[in-house]
This record gives sequence, structure tokens and C-alpha cells, in this order.
Amino acid sequence: MIQKNTGKLSFFLSSVKNVYSIFLFMGRRAKKTKIFFLLSFLPVVIAFIIKFNQIFSGRGNVRGIYIFSNLIIVFYLQFLILILALFFGTSVGSEEIEGQTLTYLTTRPIPKSAIILGKYSAYTTLVIIMMAVGVLLSFFILNLNNLGRFSLYKILVRDVVVLALGIICYTAFFTFIGTFLKKSILVGLVFSFGWENVIQYFPGSTQRFSIVHYLKSLLPVPRTGRFSFLMFRLEPSPDGLAIFMLFLITAIFLSLACFLFSYKEYILED
Amino acid sequence: MTIKEKGYSHWDGEFLVRKFPWWPITRYGIRLTFQRKFFRLAFPLSLLPAVFFLGLIYVSERLEDFPFLKGEIVQLLEISPNFFKTYLTQGFMLFIMLMIVIFCGASLISDDLKHNSLQLYFSRPLKKKDYFLGKIAVIVFFLFIITLIPGLVFFIMKLVFSGSLKFFLSYPWLPLSIIGYSLILTGFFSFYTLFLSSLSKNRRLVAILIFGIYYLSEIVYLIFRSEFRSHYVSLVSLRANLQQVGAHIFGQKTPFDISWIFSFLVLLGICVFAGFILKSKVKGVEIVK
Amino acid sequence: MKPIIETKSLSKWYGNVLGLSDVTLQIEPGIVGILGPNGAGKSTFLKLITGQIKPNIGIVRVKGQKVRNNYHLFSIIGFCPERDFFYEEMTGWQFIISLLKLHHFSPSEIESRAQKALEIVELVEDKDRVIRSYSRGMRQRLKVAQAIAHDPEIIVLDEPLSGLDPLGRRKIIHLIKSYKGEGRTIIVSSHVLPEIEAMTKRIILIHQGKIFAQGDIHYIRDLIDTHPHIISIKCSDARMLASKFIHQDYVLKVHFSSSNDSLLIETNNRDKLFSLLPSLFIENKIEVDEITSPDDNLQAVFDYLVGK
Repeated sequence: MIQKNTGKLSFFLSSVKNVYSIFLFMGRRAKKTKIFFLLSFLPVVIAFIIKFNQIFSGRGNVRGIYIFSNLIIVFYLQFLILILALFFGTSVGSEEIEGQTLTYLTTRPIPKSAIILGKYSAYTTLVIIMMAVGVLLSFFILNLNNLGRFSLYKILVRDVVVLALGIICYTAFFTFIGTFLKKSILVGLVFSFGWENVIQYFPGSTQRFSIVHYLKSLLPVPRTGRFSFLMFRLEPSPDGLAIFMLFLITAIFLSLACFLFSYKEYILED
Repeated sequence: MTIKEKGYSHWDGEFLVRKFPWWPITRYGIRLTFQRKFFRLAFPLSLLPAVFFLGLIYVSERLEDFPFLKGEIVQLLEISPNFFKTYLTQGFMLFIMLMIVIFCGASLISDDLKHNSLQLYFSRPLKKKDYFLGKIAVIVFFLFIITLIPGLVFFIMKLVFSGSLKFFLSYPWLPLSIIGYSLILTGFFSFYTLFLSSLSKNRRLVAILIFGIYYLSEIVYLIFRSEFRSHYVSLVSLRANLQQVGAHIFGQKTPFDISWIFSFLVLLGICVFAGFILKSKVKGVEIVK
Repeated sequence: MKPIIETKSLSKWYGNVLGLSDVTLQIEPGIVGILGPNGAGKSTFLKLITGQIKPNIGIVRVKGQKVRNNYHLFSIIGFCPERDFFYEEMTGWQFIISLLKLHHFSPSEIESRAQKALEIVELVEDKDRVIRSYSRGMRQRLKVAQAIAHDPEIIVLDEPLSGLDPLGRRKIIHLIKSYKGEGRTIIVSSHVLPEIEAMTKRIILIHQGKIFAQGDIHYIRDLIDTHPHIISIKCSDARMLASKFIHQDYVLKVHFSSSNDSLLIETNNRDKLFSLLPSLFIENKIEVDEITSPDDNLQAVFDYLVGK
């Protein structure tokens, strides 16, 4: 008998949950996740080397939180979350098509949009965990001498939340790219390291056409001097607007991805 | 009815050794890359810097026709080994090379692993060495188009535009520098790309690793430079090492106050390590645990 | 009987390559064999009736409903794809469990169904091995297991017997036949006539994207049997062998090879000829190197049928 559960939100959510649990389980064990886990541990190694150097060279004058904040921008915001979101975001659709496993999912009694949302949620969770573990360890290593200061934890929480928002938004964008284009990685690289960088040099409203603008708007503007190579002409948006825009971008691209995945015809070929 | 016994017998035929057994692999790799529509559109764009530099050589010989060019621009138009070094070592050119190797090299071994085709390769009169040569030659082909060939064309055009051999007599070693540095660039990128391509069956992952590791080395360098304020930290950056060796080969001042030998050794070390991993990864038979 | 699957003027192109052309048919419960040579359009047809691809022209209805993007239908459809692709890092057990989860069964039901499906295809002992370590036959059986695990009413199997050893093949054939009496609709594709013949009498012949013939297998067999078969025998004394059956009325022509060590026999009754051969070999002490039937493949059958 055909199970008709149309219109039931709980059925849709249950479908998303089932897809989520399958791909969270699979993603956790996948080789690619292990490679990226290693990559996300690199800041921990960097933090350790810097701390080690500070202790043994007697140059402990630079505050750990300052280095940490810069690590967040240089390593995480401008590199790691982009790379992770690009790979896992495009994987949501592309890996099923390239791996020709799409048939197993699309011949089940679940909406195709549930496949996209479930996989997206699973991969976003994985990426956020990868990022958070590295950030927490780097934070503790760099601020070893000031772990009792409450204000530092506020910075930690803020940074983790901003990075998580970045992952949510970028992964949604790349999920859409992965369902839309065959050459999703190259387009994604050009977007991440071309468009997102170049547009920050432009003044006025132009930079609002990038995701990184809203993320940087949520972080304090770094001082010049050390790490000055990072400085662009940031003209920040208000916090509320930045968060709203990030969620709006996420919702738009996820909806587009779901729509495309449901109606586009994927011809599986060698 | 008698059933005839059948057994194995030694083959007495003559074993025909092809002169270049790797060539079919190269030819197929090049053809496959050109079959990609996106590549056919993007590849000509990678020649734009070469066209621009060629334009500079032309202008340098007719400066009197461009009286509005003054100051620093005129210095840029001074055609010397530094001009060639600038073309081959600038960050933008290295970025273009990176994008090209992602296009033509990311899938070179990973697709063979994915489709289990290594067994098919090695069931033919093909040695591992030939397999690697065939794959490397694909990358070399594309990188030479934007490194060696423009470099030599610049040199020849400089002689043609100037109408004398003065430039050649001033820098007779320059063609060798162009060839030598192009070989180092292509050699490094070939090993780097094939090594990463042999790590996964997933070509998207390989593409991200090729780009990510290069970019990552730059970020780590920038962070360490601020912290350690030592030129030795440039050794962690792939770009810095390539530029350091390039500057030495073209007889220019190196960008970092350390011996170029260190950078060369780092690049060589990466190639040796990559070669070692490649040798162990590329096998005719896969044992699944 | 009410048709379960109906198609009207179904056509599909891949660019300028014709996949399927103007297919109108009705499939009723029972086992139906889709028979055709490689590239005939069998897989395209099965993908269309399971809604994986869109037809350029025409409609598909399963139980009176449109199939594409009608996910509810998949609670009663099981599909075994032709291509050999899996989530390679999963074990066989995890693979079946994961796909059953998408049917919204309770955890205990998922386990019992997975266990049953793996028992049917005899993979229980290997269920905890990762799929990438499975042999071709095991992978094929796993594909069948995921198609039957949720106990579907309609089972669509695209080349389910490819890659299986004779024993595995027999088991899958037996399994498919066992579903016959349960009121299910089973559609099996193959390019090997005897395989389909072993499962069902109802076949659809598909060739160059078109339905060439459909109906009872005897009808197709009769069509084929009106055409002569060619049998090649390589033996120690071809001329003597020929002299022994030349008087049989079902032997139409005999050709000898230039080296005189083999002969080609054209016959309109292959079965009779084959039953005679062993005694001829023994009585006349003829050593046989090889017996082949050069035209005993589906392509040749189609060539006969299309009059090539």
C-alpha cells in the first residue's frame, strides 16, 4: 500500500532526520573527513609553536587573545571554513551524481528536498565540529596564562558563533553550486579566493555582495601593524543586519538547491 | 570421445618494445583535458599575461613612440633577466599554473584509482616508470605552454625587435635559465599534483587539496613571519620557495635573505617524498583489508 | 487484469542519441522480462518507469499515478540498478539498514527486514565486511537485497544476473520466480535470452529504442526457430562427421573450412542436431576441439528478426 503522508510536516522532518543520521554516520567515518580533520588541527600546531616560541624566547609580550583573533581571521575565516564548506557543500549533490549512488536515494519514499536538507545538515554539523575543536584547542594553548579571565571566553564564544554562521552560509551556497554545476569545485575556488577577496577592496555597498563582508562585520576590526596584510577597506554592516543577511543567504541558496535537485534531471554517466 | 588435454605453453614470439610506451597515456590525458568545455574556454585566458609581456617587449624597443611613458613604467620596460624572472615567478602566474594543474592533473591518477584501471595499465607492456612519465608529460605539456614557450618566445622576439644580437651577447645564458626554471616549475608541480592525485579516488577532494595545501603554506608563512620575523620561515611557503629559486636562476637578488639552496632543497624534498609515496600508491593490484 | 504500469508514446533522447522511441505498453502483475541487446534502451525504459529521468515525450503511470517526483510511490517500488556503484565504505549491513531507514520503519522492523533480505541473498555471513571488499557477485546480490528489503509490490531489476556465478544466478532466478505467486509485479531486464526464459514466459523485446515484440516467449521462440542456426565444429575428421548427418532433413547446409579441420552446419532444428552429435563422436572416434554457435546471441536473433 502506498504510504500517503503529504502535507505532514512531521513526515518531512522525519525524512530529513533519517537522511541526516545516515550521512552524519557515513561522514564521520569517511577518509575525506579524516583528512580535513587533520587540516583543521593545523592551527593547533601553529598555536603550539607560537606559544612554545614565546615561552622559550621570553617574548611573551604579545597577548594570546590578539594572536588568537588574528588566527581566526587569517586561518579560519579566509581559508579553512571556505575550503571545508566548499568541499562538503558541493559534496551534498555532486558526490551522489559522481558516485552514481543517487538512484539509491531517489527511489525511496522521501522528498528530494529532504535529501538535500538532511545531507546539508549532516555535513554542516561535521564541519562545525571540526572547526570548533581546532578553535577551542588553539584558544586554550594561546591563552594558557589567562584562562581565568571571563572576558576571553566571551571572545571565544563570539568567534565560534561567527565561524559557525560562516559555515552554515557558505555550505548552503556551495550546496546550491554543487547541484547546479558540474565543475562546482573550480567555480567554488574562484568564488572563495577570487570574488570574496577582491570585492573587499571595493568601497561602499559593493562589498555587501560577498558573504565574508557580513562575517567580518560581526568581528571587531583588527588593528593595523602585525597582520596588516589582512586589512581591507571594511565598511561593516550593523550586527543585526549582518546576521539577518547570513540567514537570508542561507535560506535562499538552500531553497534553490532543493528546487533544482527536485526538478533537474541528472543523467548518471561514466 | 577423447577430450584433448590443454595446458599452458611458453610464448616464443618477439616482444615488441615501443620507443615511447608512455605516449598513449599522455596523448589521452591531453585529449581528455581539451574535451572539457570549461577548460577550452579558460585555457586561452592563461596566455593573456604572456601576450601582455610580449607587448611590453615591443614597447621597449619603440619607447620614442610612447613619450607619455615615464618613471617607473620605463624601468619596467627594461628588458633584462629580471623581466623574465618577473614573468615566471610572479604570484599571479604561479596561481594560473595552480589552476591549470587542477584542471589537467587532479584526475590523472585519482580517476585510474576510482575505475580500477591501474590493473589494465600494468597488464600491458608498460612499466611503472612509463605510467608516471605518461602522466607527468600531460602536466608538462600544459605548463610548458605558459612557461617555457613564452619565455623562449620573449627572448627570440627581443632579438627580432631589436634587430641585433646585443641582447643575446649580454645574456648568453638566459635561454638556459628559462629552460632550467621552466623545468623546475613543471617538475615540482607535476610531482606535487600527481602525489595528491594518488591520495584519493575523489577528484574533487584532490582539486581542493592541490589548491588548499599551496594556499595553506602561504598562510602559515604569513602567520609565522609576523611571529618569528625570520626569513627562514619563508621555507614553509611553496610560493616563496619557487620565487627564491627563480630569482637565483635568473641571476637576481633573492627575495629572502637566506640561501636559495634551502628553498631548492625544500622543493626537491617535496618531489622526492611525492615520488616515494607515488611509487607505493600506484600498484597493479589493490589489496582490500 | 488492471495494468500496474502504463506508458504512452514514451520517448527519450540523450542529446541527439535516441534512448527510447514511442513506447506504448501496459504491464500487468507477474514477471515480465525486458530483453534486448546492449544499448537497446532497456535501462532507459526502466529509469523512465521509476521516475529517475524525464521523458521527452509521453507519459508513465504506475498504479494510475505519475511517477516522477511522486516519492510516495517508492514505498511500493524496489529498484535494482544496473550500474555497480555503492557507498563503498559502508558494510553490507549498514547499507541495507541505512536505505531501510528512509522507508520510515521502526528500528526493530528495520533490523528484521535487513536480516531477512540478507538471508534471502545469502550475504548474512559477510554482512559486516565493507562493500569495497565484496566480490562482483556479492555486490550484485547486495543490490538485489536493497531492492527487496522493504517488501515492495513492484520490483524492477536491471540486469540482476550480470556478474553472478551459475549458482548465484540460479538462486536469484529462484527468488524472482518465488515472487510470482504473490501478486507482485516484477520487471527484469537482460540481454541473455535463456536467463529471461528461465524466469518468465512474458517478454518484451526491445531493440534500438523500440519495442520490437511483446508477448509469450513461445511466440518469440517460434519466430527465432523459423530461422536456421549455424553451428561450428572443429574436430579431427570434419568430412567424415559431415557424411554421418548429411542425410538428416533438418540439416540445411554444410561448409568446410579451407584447412578441412572444421565445418559449419546450418540447421533449422538445433536441439535435434545437438542430441545426435555425442553418439556420432563416440561411434566414429572423432576428437573434438571446439563446438560453437556463432549466431547464438541476442544480437544475431535480433538480426534475424529485423531481417538483416
